[in-house]
Amino acid sequence: MNNRRLQKELADIKASGLKSFRDIEVDDRNILLWSGSVCPDNPPYNKGAFRIEITFPAEYPFKPPKICFKTKIYHPNIDEKGQVCLPIISAENWKPATKTDQVIQALVALVNDPEPEHPLRAELAEEFLKDRKKFMKNAEEFTRKHSEKRHD
Amino acid sequence: MDSDMEYSDDDDLDDAMDYYGNEDDIDNVDPKKTDPEFFLYDCLSVDEVEKLLNELVEKLSNTLKITPSLAKVLLNEHKWNLNDIVERYRDNASNLLVSSHIKGGHGKKVTHGTLLCPVCIQSQASDKFQSLSCGHSFCTFCWSTHFEIQVSQGISTQIRCMAPACDVLVPEDLVLSLISKPQIRDKYQQFAFQDYVKSHPELRFCPGTNCQVIIRSQDLSPKKAVCKVCQTSFCFRCGNNYHAPTDCVIIKKWLTKCADDSETANYISANTKDCPKCCICIEKNGGCNHMQCFNCKHDFCWMCLGDWKQHGSEYYECSRYKENPNIANESVHAQAREALKKYLHYYERWENHSKSLQLEEQTLERLKNRINEKVMKGLNSTWIDWQYLFTAASLLAKCRYTLQYTYPYAYFASMDASSARKDLFEYQQAQLEAEIENLSWKIERAETTDRGEIENQMDICEKRRITLLKDFFPTTTNALESI
Repeated sequence: MNNRRLQKELADIKASGLKSFRDIEVDDRNILLWSGSVCPDNPPYNKGAFRIEITFPAEYPFKPPKICFKTKIYHPNIDEKGQVCLPIISAENWKPATKTDQVIQALVALVNDPEPEHPLRAELAEEFLKDRKKFMKNAEEFTRKHSEKRHD
Repeated sequence: MDSDMEYSDDDDLDDAMDYYGNEDDIDNVDPKKTDPEFFLYDCLSVDEVEKLLNELVEKLSNTLKITPSLAKVLLNEHKWNLNDIVERYRDNASNLLVSSHIKGGHGKKVTHGTLLCPVCIQSQASDKFQSLSCGHSFCTFCWSTHFEIQVSQGISTQIRCMAPACDVLVPEDLVLSLISKPQIRDKYQQFAFQDYVKSHPELRFCPGTNCQVIIRSQDLSPKKAVCKVCQTSFCFRCGNNYHAPTDCVIIKKWLTKCADDSETANYISANTKDCPKCCICIEKNGGCNHMQCFNCKHDFCWMCLGDWKQHGSEYYECSRYKENPNIANESVHAQAREALKKYLHYYERWENHSKSLQLEEQTLERLKNRINEKVMKGLNSTWIDWQYLFTAASLLAKCRYTLQYTYPYAYFASMDASSARKDLFEYQQAQLEAEIENLSWKIERAETTDRGEIENQMDICEKRRITLLKDFFPTTTNALESI
């Protein structure tokens, strides 16, 4: 049954033409693994694109998908392994009627506006709070060095 | 039902007093006032607790004219406080139902034609759909899969509607009517029962391994409960080991700190020390901290290695931590060292009394052997003459246990308590400690002829313990707030 739901979600997302989430790729043989590029609007990330992978469990939509960054990013809420802490897909908060489109919106919002109150990388959160200038400079440089090209 | 029981207990007590007509008699004083550890509680079985909870559900369901299933949600969300719920319902029913996650959303229901389930994207006749009071409709197949997956993750009373950002809780009747697998139904009921007991402040599961007993008491303070079935003793408030005079929050902080800092502490709390006079290496083999060097016969304190003569008097200061008065002017490094030194002072004493408790159990074994020998040889004593020693040993263990749990209190009190209260605590702690070591010393060397002296010492010890607990028994409000 999750095939039907995922097919529909995929078609809807592709049709909606999101600017902040592009180049969606899904393997024909495995609809449970998606990848795409997050393109944030806000500096210091607005010059780059960040590849992510969305993995859906076999029990989807009764269990939440997982998101992993494949492109390195200088961000208080995303760690070196690419793991991200997103409340909407945590096991406690997950709702089966939540759509992947809403998950992606929440992810893009988090990338645009970091939440230093619950960081995965405490040292970056501290820098973000105490020395915004330095944080912006480091993050811009990091984005230039590591992120993918945008096809704007 | 609660209040009825409480009053009948009190009535019994009063009746007994009236009958003997001597309320002022010193022997008949109310234990609630004289004994700070007095605790009235029942050990109930799962069936008894189910009956008790069901009575509350029925009462609320009849009073408010709502289904038993919704009454259960209300009770579970409000700590089973029936009177409070009824009052708030009469005040503003709608507010109560929304804040209890029973009502929400627009509440409109579609009851004809076909519907599309937003979870599985299948269209079906509307009679295959179910919704809660919030009106979010989903097909029964998706509901039941949702329930099964939630239950397999240990969730029961907290299963919510499947719509995003909808907080409405699924009541028991819908869950049970849609779960088809019997083992998942059983699990749901088991988990839900655990949630009910946890939300009811007067109930607590016995923490004993595989023990099914549930303790019930109207006294919500952190008192010592002993399970009548498996004999496990624990704090009724938090379920950890009993910890007066330290409160539930502080003991948790202390145990976490000890676990974090164990490396350093382990190094310090080695089992051997050198005699402060002749420097011969001594291994501690008894619980008493009053040591006598087997080599030079020097009497000293195992804790601080000071001369024991100064420990017997009221100048006994081994338990007190003396802060470096100049610390504010020292470097950060020195302050950190001082903080560690301070923690280790309390930790060593905590750890040492815990070890003494164990060692004193071994002492008891040795005593039994010694007594058997003496009785066998028939040297003017019978086995009965020695029984008092066992009573003394169990009282010693009880006193030392309380003493051990004074140290976490002292460590955290030393940071913020007003200094007069802190001084009083340290004074009483020192007094208790001195009398305990005195008792321990006497028990290890007891003869039948020492009975009077030891019983006298037991009395002093217990009085010191009770005095300290009376003044410093953790308050209910403190313990309740942060658990």
